[in-house]
Amino acid sequence: MERLDGRLGFWSAGPIALMLTAFFLAPMVVIAAFSVMPQRVFEFTQMPDFSSYRVIFEQRIYMPLVWSLGMALVATLILFVICWPLAFAMAKVFKRFTLVVTIGVVMTLFVSENIRLFGWILTLMRGGLIEGHLRAWTGLSFESPLYDIPAIVFGLVYVYLPFMLFPLAQGISMVPDDARQAAVDLGASRWRVLWEIELPLAAPGIMVGGLLTFVLAAGAMAEAKLLGGQAVVVISDEIETAFTFGQNWPLGSALAILLIAIIGSLAVFAVSRLDLDALMGRKRS
Amino acid sequence: MSHDHHPIMRLAGVYKRFGDFTALHSVDLDVHEGEFLTIVGPSGSGKTTLIRLMVGMDEPTDGTIWLRSARIDQVPANKRPTCMVFQSLALFPHRSVGQNIEFPLKIRGVNQGDRKTRALELLSLLRLSEHYYHKRIGQCSGGERQRVALARALAFDPEILFFDEPLSALDYRLRKTLERELKDLHARTGKTFVYITHSLEEAMVMSDRIAIMREGRFEQIGPAEEIYAKPISRFVAEFMGEVNLFPVVKAADGLEGQGLAIKTNGHGAGADMQPGARGTLMVRPEAVRFLSVGEAADITVSGRLHSEYRLGSRNQYEVALADGRHVAVEALRQTGHAPPPGAEVTVGWDLAHCHLIAET
Amino acid sequence: MRISRRSFAQGAGSLAALGVMGRSARVLGQTSDELNILCWEGYNTDDVLGPFRDLHPGATVRAESGTSDPDMINRLRAGESNVWHLINVNQPWARAQLYPEGLILPLDQERFMPYFERMTPPYNGPYPLAIAPDGELIGMPQRYGPFSFVVNTDVISRDMAEDQGWNLFLDPALAGRYGILTYDNWNVMHMCITGGLNPFEPLDEAGFVTFRQIADQIFAGARLLTDDLVAMNTALINGEIDCYFTGGTYTASPARLDGLSNVRGITPRSGPINGKGGVVWAELTSVVNNPNASTLAPDFLEYVQAPDICKAVGFAEGTYNPVAQMADPDVLALWDEDELDAIQWDSLPEEMENSVEYDVVASYAELIEIYNAAKRERG
Repeated sequence: MERLDGRLGFWSAGPIALMLTAFFLAPMVVIAAFSVMPQRVFEFTQMPDFSSYRVIFEQRIYMPLVWSLGMALVATLILFVICWPLAFAMAKVFKRFTLVVTIGVVMTLFVSENIRLFGWILTLMRGGLIEGHLRAWTGLSFESPLYDIPAIVFGLVYVYLPFMLFPLAQGISMVPDDARQAAVDLGASRWRVLWEIELPLAAPGIMVGGLLTFVLAAGAMAEAKLLGGQAVVVISDEIETAFTFGQNWPLGSALAILLIAIIGSLAVFAVSRLDLDALMGRKRS
Repeated sequence: MSHDHHPIMRLAGVYKRFGDFTALHSVDLDVHEGEFLTIVGPSGSGKTTLIRLMVGMDEPTDGTIWLRSARIDQVPANKRPTCMVFQSLALFPHRSVGQNIEFPLKIRGVNQGDRKTRALELLSLLRLSEHYYHKRIGQCSGGERQRVALARALAFDPEILFFDEPLSALDYRLRKTLERELKDLHARTGKTFVYITHSLEEAMVMSDRIAIMREGRFEQIGPAEEIYAKPISRFVAEFMGEVNLFPVVKAADGLEGQGLAIKTNGHGAGADMQPGARGTLMVRPEAVRFLSVGEAADITVSGRLHSEYRLGSRNQYEVALADGRHVAVEALRQTGHAPPPGAEVTVGWDLAHCHLIAET
Repeated sequence: MRISRRSFAQGAGSLAALGVMGRSARVLGQTSDELNILCWEGYNTDDVLGPFRDLHPGATVRAESGTSDPDMINRLRAGESNVWHLINVNQPWARAQLYPEGLILPLDQERFMPYFERMTPPYNGPYPLAIAPDGELIGMPQRYGPFSFVVNTDVISRDMAEDQGWNLFLDPALAGRYGILTYDNWNVMHMCITGGLNPFEPLDEAGFVTFRQIADQIFAGARLLTDDLVAMNTALINGEIDCYFTGGTYTASPARLDGLSNVRGITPRSGPINGKGGVVWAELTSVVNNPNASTLAPDFLEYVQAPDICKAVGFAEGTYNPVAQMADPDVLALWDEDELDAIQWDSLPEEMENSVEYDVVASYAELIEIYNAAKRERG
């Protein structure tokens, strides 16, 4: 019976595996093949010379990658800190209100990211919602916070909040109330409970939330382009430029492969340390 | 034990309300130093609410709680020198057995070496071998987890150790073993144990004193034997196990019950009742016996043997009386002469085994 | 194991079938019931496509707008040349990349040459840049426009801006007061011109050094970079910046049509390219070398020459642009006064006079690399 199940499982996984191979792996193979081609060629029938990778390091084209990863890291940390209390309340305190928060947050996802970011430009710009009203009422003025690195990080935090919030709430809901109360009963302070009990037991949710936000933020472009005024060039922007205005597909491919390699190994590392079954509420037999 | 004058914990007039619902009505309780006190009650009687107040996970709506000479009802759980073994045990699944046991010591800032020494001592006290120290909680059986939870609580070295039905999820045999171990542990450690359960059996096996709770109040508090033999209410009598209850009225020369004429001869049950007062005569099934022809007892009734249940070493029989009432009889399996089901039988018991519950 | 170039090429060739396919000029067949257009925004509106659909009720007519010339060209290169029948890009891309690579086909000169007669100079006659070196007609022009930079004339007068030209952006007083619209291929060109270099001639080492200096300085002084013209106009209107690098009728017209006529495209009066410092773009719409050719493709090229369709193309949503056919009075009559003001009709002849044709940047590969490095390392 178990063998039959196994076989059925194998065959029923077939179509999706095939689809993944065709639609996910094939483009990757093409990108990987392009990345080793000589500069500025448009077919991968040339002798590979790996020049793009050399160019990336010689001309410090990896800097956008450093910026993207750095800002993604900062945004992820900020998101973790601000989402924890809200996620905690959603998982343990709010009852019906959790649904309200969920719907509220999910609703924002129905509006395109660019439009929401443009809304922030109108809010934060000189003469915008905030500075404009302040100036009209008090005569005071200030430089708009737009077009700088903090504005980009703010955009990342704003856009990717749901991707931290929900996994975190899921993770926190896995922390048994009894374990927290027992820790308190055994003398632990609020902070010790957080450190010794809640953080480790919510770790799967923290991992998933952190990974999602970090990966998405590392590949983000709109925040840097709109709110940041390209104060720094992010990696996806650099890749796009290489493919379009640069007309250098191998360089763009090599940058993409570097990004995929870094993000991919991070994801593999995180997922390997993660009990997804536990997060989904299934018991391991 | 003569600690009555110095309770280690005293509850006075404690109320707990949740909105309109009053979970505890003016509860008074003294916990004696070193005793094994069990609070028993059906689910919903308020015992869990009460224990949460005692360990500090909740604050009473009204009333005071004293620990020795200190008033503690507003002190949070992490500032109280008491601790509890949870029903779920609440072990930390992400920590090893050793780390679980050492947790309270780590919180207190005890150094690693001393912590380990103490954890190993406790493992051995609870008859777990040293190699459990590095095991994960997930690798332990139910009984082993129970012992780890106990060890962790003992590592805290509490003034009072509370238990919230920790054995309820275990199978019968393991529960019996652990009941004895707990009793033994109580004797060896000399600590004060306060245990809550809905299981009378657990209470009877382990406790020095039993407190019966009902609807947010204590119905009766006393030694196990006293509560079993001399319940103060029908509720306690029924709660403490299978029982035969007969409504009676005090007559001039004894007790008058439907179908029962009882001579008290000036002493025994109901001697202190005023004529005309109502009460309930209680007799436990094990005090009732089948009578052979000519055999005498203080009280006798006749009926048809209705059913028979085997309880292992004992059998329980139910005798249906002519008026529809049932009388339960319990006898050792080998002894007594049990008639076949459906037979007409006479059963009887002696006044010395009766207890009269006066109507309040 | 040694991989010979040949054996590798064979292996890679089979891989190529996955994504990059069919660059050959083989015509597999012809269709008359399908037309797919890849274009700059405008040709994909209902005003343009609707009447054409009515003319061809049995045909499926679709159009999709790209985000940049190279983006659209990439799509043809990546195998979409068997999807699209028409492509609309700026003329240097058509001449320098699409036609030499065999991605587009020549047009029937007998059929299309007459339309050039109704166009405004320099597109009449016919437009020399619509003709490939081999003499073939490779596309039809329609929209065009001067493209240099945009100022807020409330802060910087038109006269001063035209006079100062690109030097404006090197003025330390303007540091932090301008934006850069990241139409990168335009910026490469304009940064050359700012540095007194002719981008359409190959540059020497000294030229590259100059270019790097100019790029560094312009990036360092920029308040913001964006490729979104609405965001850029918003920053200009609310005073975040006073002007922006790279822009023209195409980017200023939406704001101008909203009544903000202080937003104005500027063409410098002088510069390093035969004395000129402004650049003008023109789109070419060409027939894609699609193995499944559509007979509707040339029909559509003819169809967009009609006056009302010229207006619909010139005044499609998003941006507003002059069209070459406006030399025809019947076409011009369809524009009202506000609409003419939006496309700076008053100064258009003068601006055209001061502009050179957008062309292939000779040292583009080197310059875009320097440009991107300067952008990456800005600040």
